[in-house]
Amino acid sequence: MSDWKAETAISFENVSVRKSDFVLGPTTLDIPSGYITAIVGPNGSGKSTLFRMALDLAKPDHGKVTVLGQEIGSGDDDALKQHIGYVPEEPYAHESRLKGSDKAKINGFWYKGWDLFRYQELLRILQVNDHQLLGDMSKGMRRKTELALALAHNPELLLLDEPSSGLDPLAWKIMIDLLHRHMDQGDRTILMTSHIVDEVKRLADFIVFMAQGKVLGFYEKDELFCSWFTYYVSGEGIDARDLADMPGQTGIEFAGMHTFRVTTGKAQDAEAWCTDAGLTVVSKSAMELDEIMAALLHGIGLETKANEARGLRR
Amino acid sequence: MRLPIQINEQSAEPLYHQIKVQLRALIVSGQLEEDTLLPSIRELAQTVKCSVITVKRVYSDLETEGLLRTRQGTGTYVAKVGEQERDKHRLSVVIEALDQAVAAGKRVQCSEEELEGLFREAVRKHYDPGGEQS
Repeated sequence: MSDWKAETAISFENVSVRKSDFVLGPTTLDIPSGYITAIVGPNGSGKSTLFRMALDLAKPDHGKVTVLGQEIGSGDDDALKQHIGYVPEEPYAHESRLKGSDKAKINGFWYKGWDLFRYQELLRILQVNDHQLLGDMSKGMRRKTELALALAHNPELLLLDEPSSGLDPLAWKIMIDLLHRHMDQGDRTILMTSHIVDEVKRLADFIVFMAQGKVLGFYEKDELFCSWFTYYVSGEGIDARDLADMPGQTGIEFAGMHTFRVTTGKAQDAEAWCTDAGLTVVSKSAMELDEIMAALLHGIGLETKANEARGLRR
Repeated sequence: MRLPIQINEQSAEPLYHQIKVQLRALIVSGQLEEDTLLPSIRELAQTVKCSVITVKRVYSDLETEGLLRTRQGTGTYVAKVGEQERDKHRLSVVIEALDQAVAAGKRVQCSEEELEGLFREAVRKHYDPGGEQS
């Protein structure tokens, strides 16, 4: 089904970072241009580090990072940064004593594409005003202001690290809508991280799973969701061992009366396999993102992380 | 514009197929008239909560079938559907639905006779609503 073709907006080539308490990579990952890609993973999996490397805020020990066709750290990237918008996970402490409107002035001075009318429109849509000090704003207010500030120069590439943290449900819906409309201009790319299942479902075209500094996989969203299913399979006199060979099988549980609950990441193959083996599929249901994540982590022996993933917010 | 497309996430049918069948039916039935501007790819993806890749495939497939056309830079429109075309597609929707119904019957181990009986009953219900059984 991979008939989408896309240029690459960000490419990480064999990138690795080694610190005393954290190892990332070596990772190779291409973020396609023109789409929304969401990175999903437990805390400490290296998501924010990737973001920071793309912005040259952190340097990889090895490997190469290329953003919008330009290699990071290869010289002057001021021109490149004109085309990027960034909302970090935690707001910068040194900006807390600025008013929103002060930061807007700085952005207006720095970004050639800065559109004051767009900025004011964004503030209106998000229902915030920027007269307060950023540090005095509530978490949600500050988030909304930062979003308006990141979008008002109409960046080609938008990096959003947990964009919705602190937003109430109404503001969250407005944000989703804003991001879709931003993308609707075409040629726009968003790379984001999120802990919220519904947010990934509504926004992402591609999903990247990460854990403990490793990329577990890169998937087209709809393909991912139609591959992972839970089946209740029944057959006369079967036991768990009979199901071990089911394609893509990641877990088998006894469900009473010749019936087992099996999860698989290869739904179509698994179904055909059941038919061939003479087993009856009693019922099936699509898996949620957190369950898929848990199954993937389980598959590589990260039990505690798998339990954490199950705590992702629905 | 909001297209009346309903997605069943639990269905075995891929999203791509579900959207394509429904959109095709809307066009062929004439519910979407010629020259209607369809929602942008991103917009439709947002309403049915799928990825833009899926919607792109649907639009481009229906364009190949001659049901849609894209004007550079302005969007995707419903094309003129000829009588012949309409007939061809008109039946394809019915064939598809019947196929699904038969598959559903087979899943619960209906016999052929049982299915045929059910089919005749359904026909009677829809085509001869007031008619008494002879």
